[in-house]
Amino acid sequence: MSKDHNAQKTCWNCPALELRGHVDFRACGQSMRKFMTEGQAMAECKRRPELGLFDPASLTFEECPEWEEGPYGYQLRDMRVLILGIDGYLGWTLALWLGSLGFRVAGVDNFNRRRWVAEEGSHSVVPIAPMEERLRAAKEVLGIEISFREFDILDNEKLRQFIQEFQPEAIVHYAECPSAPYSMVDFQHAAYVQHNNVIGTLGLLFAMRDLAPEASLIKLGTMGEYGTPLTGRPIFEGIFPADAVLQWDGREWSLGGELTPRDPVSFYHVSKVQDTFNVYESCKYWWLRSYDVMQGVIYGVHTEQVAADPRLRTRFDVDEWFGTVINRFVAQAVVGIPLTIYGSGGQTRGFLALRDAMQCMTRLILSPPEPGQYDVVNQISGVYRVRELAETVARIAADEFGLEVEIQRLENPRVEADEHPYEVVYEKLPQQLGFEPQVTLEEEVYQMLKLLIQPSIRSRIEAIRQVILPKTRWSGLHKEMDVIERYKVRPRRVVGLGAEGGGEDDPER
Amino acid sequence: MILNADNFEKEVLKSSLPVLVDFWASWCPPCKMVEPVVAELERELAGRVKVGKLNVDQNPGIAGRYHIQGVPAFVLFVGGKEVARRVGAQSKTQLRRFLEECLGSSRGSGER
Repeated sequence: MSKDHNAQKTCWNCPALELRGHVDFRACGQSMRKFMTEGQAMAECKRRPELGLFDPASLTFEECPEWEEGPYGYQLRDMRVLILGIDGYLGWTLALWLGSLGFRVAGVDNFNRRRWVAEEGSHSVVPIAPMEERLRAAKEVLGIEISFREFDILDNEKLRQFIQEFQPEAIVHYAECPSAPYSMVDFQHAAYVQHNNVIGTLGLLFAMRDLAPEASLIKLGTMGEYGTPLTGRPIFEGIFPADAVLQWDGREWSLGGELTPRDPVSFYHVSKVQDTFNVYESCKYWWLRSYDVMQGVIYGVHTEQVAADPRLRTRFDVDEWFGTVINRFVAQAVVGIPLTIYGSGGQTRGFLALRDAMQCMTRLILSPPEPGQYDVVNQISGVYRVRELAETVARIAADEFGLEVEIQRLENPRVEADEHPYEVVYEKLPQQLGFEPQVTLEEEVYQMLKLLIQPSIRSRIEAIRQVILPKTRWSGLHKEMDVIERYKVRPRRVVGLGAEGGGEDDPER
Repeated sequence: MILNADNFEKEVLKSSLPVLVDFWASWCPPCKMVEPVVAELERELAGRVKVGKLNVDQNPGIAGRYHIQGVPAFVLFVGGKEVARRVGAQSKTQLRRFLEECLGSSRGSGER
């Protein structure tokens, strides 16, 4: 795997950089700038103050002794990473992943995800330990010490205090409510999701301005922010390239650098779009630096660290609010519920395996943007159609585990196109950050089935059977979805998934 | 080519070829998005027009001298003197047309 994607980055990108000089506002009003009077920006290194003042562009990661070679590129020694939402599906997995690579990890959570899932009468079907036990097991089994604090990041004072204490060099923000259906239940839920997500992030941005402006913010957005443009125009990585032009009235302008249109598909997705603008503006006003990660639907249950001990397992939700599509299909296959697709099942989305998502996040952390740089990455490894995904899961379940699996089409509870073009640009991670997917869909589906079919987990899925099928309609109508069609896939056909696959409804949770 | 306070005089002001300087900043998304276009032009125009990039935050002295008020700013130098500039993101076609208009008639319009 590529290790040299960040070798030529300089102190300009490094969170240990402290720019010296006075602070001024650019005449054009576009940003703040800090510089020395002698016509050259100068910096000090927080880790090596003995170096004195120097030109921040003069030293590369490859040359700097603080950056050492690691499996995913040059790695800042003992780099301090703060994970907001560390108790979640991705947060906990990332904490162990980074810890095992030698990062210093701290995390915050208020266990809201556990409560939201319980609100529906559901639970993580893979049992997860309480936080104290998780932390103890991380130490015992993997030798990882995680600094944890329980609070709601909406409590800005507590957040500031923790940032001040830990002095993060990167902040990963997973602490949002990630469910489209949850935001569509009623007014109270919609308002709650938007307040929680938007105001939580806004408070974080102000705290970073004051206390950690050199840290990079890895902010989780979602591919769902873009919607699915019916013209079939490409879905760029958040920002138009320079050769995208607007033609009107016989004249022409470059759209380069402007944010591309967003077309969110639920009130949850609207909160993510609002976050995008808040993060973008903060980079502009305060020289914060951020990757806004337009993440596809994550599936899977496996990393080396979470599989090391039952107490280290990450949560796995399959209920209608928080279960994502592939994970839900696997659970349905295990307990004999027909795999449910919405409408025609022609919805196409971008997907990424859990283990590959961890690799992407590591590479983003190790390649900090430049001061003031707001950048967007589309974080997926492949594009699939939901119907085809259901068929893949059904075949593997039948062929490898002897399960009888049916697929059923339900009327679509959401307002979205069932059939649509979908051309996603996802070049930055593989081309600029060295990301190479390591997991195939079939392998991960196999791993999931193998774990979920264990009697103890199977019975936990059985226990929440009644909350797996969708009940939340975008229209607000309270009525079960009608079944349009039910069918079985032909057994024993060779599964041939390529770049064209199948993805589902909003694969968002 | 990366320009800075050390090489600006030699590479731009004393250049025998016309020089297109891309004044840019790391916090400016349009600047980032024109990077590949500028790099392509640099290759395609080699031997006829020199193309260089100057980070305005790392070199505020030079940016100040040329009154850079917004970025990206594309400033064309001929014989060490500014002859024309364009501000804001440009497509490759637009940048090519800009250079042709300015250099086709030996001296540009001094458009700002």
